[in-house]
Amino acid sequence: MDMDKLGVVTSFIHNIVVYNIPLLYGTVGEIMVEKSGSLNLGVEGIMAVGAIFGYIVGCYANSLAVGVFTAFLMGALCGLLFAALTVSLQANQNITGLTLTTFGLGVYFFVGNGLKAVKWPAMNDYANIKNGFADIAIPGLSQIPVLGKGLFSHNILVYLAVVIALVMWWYLNRTGPGLRLRAVGENPGAADSVGVNVKRTKYIHICLGCGIMGIGGYYMGLNMSGSFSSSCWINGYGWIAVALVIFANWNPALAILGTFVFGFFNTLRVSGSSLAAAFPGPLGWLAAVPTQLYQALPFIITAIVLVATSVRKREGSGLPAALGLNYFREER
Amino acid sequence: MRFHVVKRDNCPLWKKLTWYLAAVAAALVLGGLLLLALGVNPVAYYSRMFTMGMVGNKIAYKTFENYLKVFVPLALTSVALSLAFKMRFWNIGGEGQFILGAVAAATVAMKLGPVLPGALTLILMCLAAMLCAGLYGAFVAVLKVKFGTNETLMTLMLNYVALYFITFLGETQAPWNFYLDPASVRPIFASFSKIVAFPKIPMGKFGLNVCVIFTFAIGALVYIYLRYTKQGYEIAVVGDSAGTAHYAGMKVNAIVLRTVFLSACLIGLAAAFKVGTAGILSTSITDDVGWTGIIVAWLSQLNTAAIFVVSALISMLRYGSTVAATTFSQVDSSFANMLQGAILFLVLAADFLTRFRVVPVQKGGKANGHG
Repeated sequence: MDMDKLGVVTSFIHNIVVYNIPLLYGTVGEIMVEKSGSLNLGVEGIMAVGAIFGYIVGCYANSLAVGVFTAFLMGALCGLLFAALTVSLQANQNITGLTLTTFGLGVYFFVGNGLKAVKWPAMNDYANIKNGFADIAIPGLSQIPVLGKGLFSHNILVYLAVVIALVMWWYLNRTGPGLRLRAVGENPGAADSVGVNVKRTKYIHICLGCGIMGIGGYYMGLNMSGSFSSSCWINGYGWIAVALVIFANWNPALAILGTFVFGFFNTLRVSGSSLAAAFPGPLGWLAAVPTQLYQALPFIITAIVLVATSVRKREGSGLPAALGLNYFREER
Repeated sequence: MRFHVVKRDNCPLWKKLTWYLAAVAAALVLGGLLLLALGVNPVAYYSRMFTMGMVGNKIAYKTFENYLKVFVPLALTSVALSLAFKMRFWNIGGEGQFILGAVAAATVAMKLGPVLPGALTLILMCLAAMLCAGLYGAFVAVLKVKFGTNETLMTLMLNYVALYFITFLGETQAPWNFYLDPASVRPIFASFSKIVAFPKIPMGKFGLNVCVIFTFAIGALVYIYLRYTKQGYEIAVVGDSAGTAHYAGMKVNAIVLRTVFLSACLIGLAAAFKVGTAGILSTSITDDVGWTGIIVAWLSQLNTAAIFVVSALISMLRYGSTVAATTFSQVDSSFANMLQGAILFLVLAADFLTRFRVVPVQKGGKANGHG
């Protein structure tokens, strides 16, 4: 096997990570929101809002950190709106989430097209953003043949996503506040009766989760080198993230694996033909698979997982029991 | 002073309407401020949007025909969704069901249209669309009653399966793919408007598409069905409490299956109307009615008559904003999405005031004016 063919494999693995990390942000954020018992269908819109403001403010400040912070803040603000409506004002979660998607995409295009009419900031003009988003090789690990360059030489936001996912796993499963959060998502009435502040718990975690989604949106903008066109940067990734939450069984650590699985199909869609060209014998058939099948696969797999878990009604399901239900104290 | 939230028993209609209108007005004011910031006169913009540029326009009848093309699928889809929502079955799969219905209708039009009489083709298009969409919806209902599968998430997933299915049809050039235009080098859908189309009733220059009449007729039928029939009553009871319905001897599972099938069927019919009017498939054939319909049904509080009013207004907003965008080039057409979002957020907030009351808690923790 010559080096060129191995290079194709390496870049394939590299692409899986680079192009699909936003899914991890979206998924981990949504896991946090759903663990509080709220089904938020606004991921797509929240990521779009985080993306557009993160990108613009980040460019003007010429700082990646400012961009990330702005994206987080704008995402969290969307979360605050969602929480105010569903937690305090008892609005229906599905409706509020869907509206947030419509609204968020509206804001995205309104701000983006508005600025484009004046002057769109090009990412290449902002050295700190461009360099900040450049790959950083992890010493040692990145030297592993084939895998090293694919897995351990990435931009800083890739590492940040993995760290957030692992920290959230630890938070949910090993800390007191995490336990209280899960209690609120399972049975808010019971949590309330033992002194957990249900409202505050929901507010905090909805905002945090939505903020994380916002960073994912910003990542997508950077990954497109900030080129703004008629199709949204988020391009349906928010919806895939909603699916991935189910696939990952509401477990942030599993979400890393899930991102890799969904990302694998996503990348096959883009680079399947180059794999087929490099290995015409074993993988030649890849070129014949319609790309739309790869696009549909995350949703098909999730549908199957959804049915399988409901058939088995297994103990280990991470689906919060009170998901989608508003908590009204007087009805306890 | 601490406050405490209690449920209202029932809020008089005029009070509800006042709150909702205030919410819509507040959203329009917020939008107006944004327009002012852009240097656009909000009054001019809104009047252009809400009249859809029909005032002083020689081809206003054409505009109104186009407006009805937006209105019909939205109104019918919203009515359809309200059936399922009445049972608290969260069918958010309107998009997917619409797409499958559209593909089925187009299949009939292209395969049978050239050999059958027009009226028969149109009827078969409607039936095929209803069957395909209905089964796609009923599939989820079966899973729900048999295994308790979460229908919100399941219908959501199936939306995307359907979307990529129609994308596949639209992008794959192959000898079997009769959906595409054989004369085109790039893959584009073939038009069948010359083969078959829903007729228009001429009224002067204006042509009233028969689908508009059917949509209103179906709306009336659904209203009667929900209000005055046994099945409609069963839907209401299951929606209130499945336990009560079961205790009263109703076959809850059968009711759920039947109603979801009917709901999805009507969405399929909306798709047949759309395809039979447009005369061509498209990957954006749904025009987001599956999503917007959910919002319309909810805003109307699942009341069939209100759904028609709200769909008319939302269609006005959506279509009017594209018209206004041609005059006011500095306002992006995405303004409609933001405005729609703002209206709904504020209406949701106003809805709280119609369902709950905020009362101060007196010293000693006793709520004031309880009950």
